[in-house]
Amino acid sequence: MLDRLETIRKEALDAINKAKDSSREAIEALRVRFTGRKGELTNILKSIGSLPPDQRPKVGQLANRYKNEIETAIKEALEKFDQKNSEETCIAGLDPTLPGRRLPYGRLHPVTQVMDEICAIFSRMGFSVAQGPEVELDFYNFEALNIPPDHPARDMQDTFYIDDKVLLRTHTSPIQIRTMEKLEPPLRIIAPGKVYRCDSDVTHTPMFHQVEGLMVDTRVSFADLKGILTHFIHQIFSDRTGVRFRPSFFPFTEPSAEVDIQCVICGGSGCRVCSHTGWLEVLGAGLVNPAVFRHVGYDTERFSGFAFGLGIERITMLKYGIDDLRLFFDNDLRFLTQF
Amino acid sequence: MLILTSWLKEFVPFDCSVEKLAHDLTMAGLEVEAVHSAYSDIENAVAAKILEVTTVESSPGMKKCLLDTGSGRAEVVCGAPNVERGKIAVLARPGTTLPDGTVIKKTVIYGVESAGMLCSQAELALGDDAGGIMYLQDNAALGRPVAEILGLEDWIIEIGITPNRSDCLSIQGVAREVSAAYDLPRSVPFSQNDPTGGKGLSPDSVAITIEDPEFCGRYAGAVIRGVRPGPSPSWLVRRLASCGIRPINNIVDVTNYVLLELGQPLHAFDLERLRGGEIIVRTARKGEKIKTLDGKERNLEEGMLAICDAVGPVAVAGVMGGAESEVTAGTSEILLESAWFHPSQIRRTARKLKLSTEASYRFERGVDPENCVNAMLRAASLIQQAAGGTLEAWRDECPGKFTRPVIEVRPERACSLIGAEIPRDKIIKYLQGIDIEVTENDGNIEATVPLFRPDITAEIDIVEEIARLHGFDSVPTTWPVASIIAPELDSSRALESKIKASLVASGMIEIISYSFTSPSDIEALGLPAHDPRLRMVRLKNPLSEEQSVMRTSLIPPLLRAVSRNHARRNLDLRLFELGTTFIDQGAEKLPHEETRVAALVTGKRMPRNWAWDQAQSDIFDIKGVLEALTESLGIRAEFVSCTASDASRDTYYLAGTSLMLKADDITLGSIGQITPAVLKKYEISAPVFLFDLSLEALSRTATGHKQYMRLAKYPAVELDIAIILRDEVRGQQILSFINSNRPDFLERAEIFDVYCGKPIASGFKSIAVRFIYRAPDRTLTDEQVNSIHQPLVDMLLKEFNAKLRA
Repeated sequence: MLDRLETIRKEALDAINKAKDSSREAIEALRVRFTGRKGELTNILKSIGSLPPDQRPKVGQLANRYKNEIETAIKEALEKFDQKNSEETCIAGLDPTLPGRRLPYGRLHPVTQVMDEICAIFSRMGFSVAQGPEVELDFYNFEALNIPPDHPARDMQDTFYIDDKVLLRTHTSPIQIRTMEKLEPPLRIIAPGKVYRCDSDVTHTPMFHQVEGLMVDTRVSFADLKGILTHFIHQIFSDRTGVRFRPSFFPFTEPSAEVDIQCVICGGSGCRVCSHTGWLEVLGAGLVNPAVFRHVGYDTERFSGFAFGLGIERITMLKYGIDDLRLFFDNDLRFLTQF
Repeated sequence: MLILTSWLKEFVPFDCSVEKLAHDLTMAGLEVEAVHSAYSDIENAVAAKILEVTTVESSPGMKKCLLDTGSGRAEVVCGAPNVERGKIAVLARPGTTLPDGTVIKKTVIYGVESAGMLCSQAELALGDDAGGIMYLQDNAALGRPVAEILGLEDWIIEIGITPNRSDCLSIQGVAREVSAAYDLPRSVPFSQNDPTGGKGLSPDSVAITIEDPEFCGRYAGAVIRGVRPGPSPSWLVRRLASCGIRPINNIVDVTNYVLLELGQPLHAFDLERLRGGEIIVRTARKGEKIKTLDGKERNLEEGMLAICDAVGPVAVAGVMGGAESEVTAGTSEILLESAWFHPSQIRRTARKLKLSTEASYRFERGVDPENCVNAMLRAASLIQQAAGGTLEAWRDECPGKFTRPVIEVRPERACSLIGAEIPRDKIIKYLQGIDIEVTENDGNIEATVPLFRPDITAEIDIVEEIARLHGFDSVPTTWPVASIIAPELDSSRALESKIKASLVASGMIEIISYSFTSPSDIEALGLPAHDPRLRMVRLKNPLSEEQSVMRTSLIPPLLRAVSRNHARRNLDLRLFELGTTFIDQGAEKLPHEETRVAALVTGKRMPRNWAWDQAQSDIFDIKGVLEALTESLGIRAEFVSCTASDASRDTYYLAGTSLMLKADDITLGSIGQITPAVLKKYEISAPVFLFDLSLEALSRTATGHKQYMRLAKYPAVELDIAIILRDEVRGQQILSFINSNRPDFLERAEIFDVYCGKPIASGFKSIAVRFIYRAPDRTLTDEQVNSIHQPLVDMLLKEFNAKLRA
């Protein structure tokens, strides 16, 4: 009889363990099977009277202990089951893998984003933002920048004219002149804006954006220009981006430099984007030509300065790997929503 | 500028790789844009073995050859006498341009599809033999380019010369830079000995008159008699071909050769066709014409400089010679011209004639007046070599006063501007390396600048040369020591940023459009005649009619963006643009530039999603964006119904949909739905809701000031009513009436529902208004609220002749 009791206990506990995750009903059924009114254990307790008297106390004690043990186990299993499957901890039928509800999500044009980033970098170095007209006088766009009429340097920029004296600015450099006419040195400005050139093909759009920079103070050197621009490039690209300065020509700066960065696409090993040179031209710069200072009445012996200009679309293309310049002004939603 | 390295080596004996040379030139300011083989013009001329030769029946002189090209068989027809089976010839494949300009095409000759042409040495400019096709050695690799098989290696370096460096528009000039960079001696590969010591040879027999010495500072002329024009020797043709210049005849070729070599443009006249046998340099007279070498008849304007004979113009000075006096096969006497013309004079003429030549390109930038005679004598000697004849006389007219500028240079000033310590002796060495004479004077340096550097006129120009030759890489990278300047806040930019931030937060996407547009896009708005937006600024030289005027409004570019997106099936759009518009102010005045911001919505209200209905957006979507914008800017703006004059101005809004946005009597802009008529012109078929604001007006009203309101401590009582009133009563009228009769404790009233339809009679609608009452210092009782609310409701019903909805 004692063996029988052991077997029932083991069977009951095993069954509870198996049924504990299946359903409430399965667990309840075990109560009926083992400890209910006609349960297996209940039947043994009922039959104690038919045992020899010396066995009765021992079998009775053990049967009662097992009955309690099994009932407790069932109760616990039910509690655990309820806890796990209650409404508070679970919603049946939810599929959280479905896409979320997105409200209309606005974005700035990638050119604006990069322009803001560039302005922020220079603002941290104490440059303030200046602006100027987009339809400009020939004087500010060319003459005051040391580009007289009939100068071959005018070939460097294909100009849209309104009339003989008025044009669409071809660069943001006229803002230098307008600012220096208004303010005495020292000064540090950057001037972002749209510029126009009558050139339209795969690599040119007739309108694009530039940022012009100008710093004038008492001891500004070419080495300082290198310092500021190297810092800028490290900020806008990465600390590891190689930078090189090489001699070039702009009528309003002297010495003039073009600034190349190590190709951000191939890392300098040479690819189609950098024409297999490993370098990409991103900036034009130089010390302000004293002839320009004379136009605005600055003392060329006391003050020196540097100026630089860069095309924002170019920087944006390099930052995001955009391969078609014309996308910028096409305003296709599929393009605009990528940034 | 194309530089042939073997030619360059004749002037300076560098021995580095072409890659290193390209890099070092770039870092010296001569940007190398490309390097390619000097034989790339004939890279498709390849070794081919002649397998079979058969005679073309219909034409006995011609032979049909079957070739093994290494990669397959090909057939050509060849008329050369020396065609021989089993030999390896050179096949120029279709697409090849021979040095003389002949383009090889795939053609059918005598019924044979000819896969190119078998070439002679002369045809490839690889030798002078023109008598038959050239043969390669028997073990030549079939299919490989002829230059490779012959072991010919030479490079063309393509340099982008900046406008200031006219001195580098020649082999000699680039050689100077190479010698400075590598500290190498220079040599001149020809005799510069002038036995007359500059006096000229029988100068009186050469008739040259300069009537305009300001524009023509120097004119040297040489007479060579007994020339025999004909093809140039192959070495000359090869060099010209490598540099992209087509050979004409041995005389013209020499002038081109010396132009490339020494940078001096030259011109050869047929002396017998110069009427009166003389040259007069003068400005053109009214009505004078010339037929230039390119065969075009050109009208010369007064003021253009012309080279004339006794009768009239025979060349446009410095730009192009005349066809009448051109050297031809029959020429036997030539006058060789080597001159200096004023740069801006040549530039003006070339621009007016829309004619840019190798000569004008150099004269515009400045040639070396001290090089005229030297270059002329070099050319004369080469012409005698290539075309025979004798230099019988030459003369040098030099009315111009050419003096080498002397510039005082302060070495310490140079160092401080560059920001590098460069020792004095190094500075001197740098300058001497590019032929600047240096004398020391009281601690400073006096630099005498040769005339081939017209770009160097001031101390800063010398500073640039020092920095360049020192190497920008060798200049340290430093932080400037600068005064503190508190950056002035640019208020307009700050406003722009705030506006953009608010629009982006409302889910709007920024676009940037071209500032120019087509007049018809503006006219499509149907504006009344007096509207300033019809005063368009027109470009003199637009790229196309579609981009010929500056935009006067942001609405056309925004609608264009909708149209383009619709074409690509992007139908649900929330777009804005912030940018400049341009209104013409008449001549003598810059246009009025006004920054505006405009925004539109069209298509579905919400992004496509499984979880909600796809309702179409309407006017209230764009209005909500605008309300949030004015709130974010701290503008107390109100929407005002359009007056008749507003409506007649903004004709592009559908009647009854538009409102004006005003603040303190300042009109900020307008909002409305675009008429189908306008949309049709932009090929848009879905409704578009738009607003358009002036930034100038926004900046005058945007206080940016925000005042904190203490949060209410006591609960509010909310009472809702629904009233039935006539359809034409506007929601804003109801709210304005409540506000202007606002009782104590009424915190706010808002419309929360609008309904028309059954059971409400037609012509009427139901508007539900929520009234929120609150006292700052206590909880209001129902009685207290009712005593305020009921009279207000009564007034409202009376005012609008309304009744409560049951």
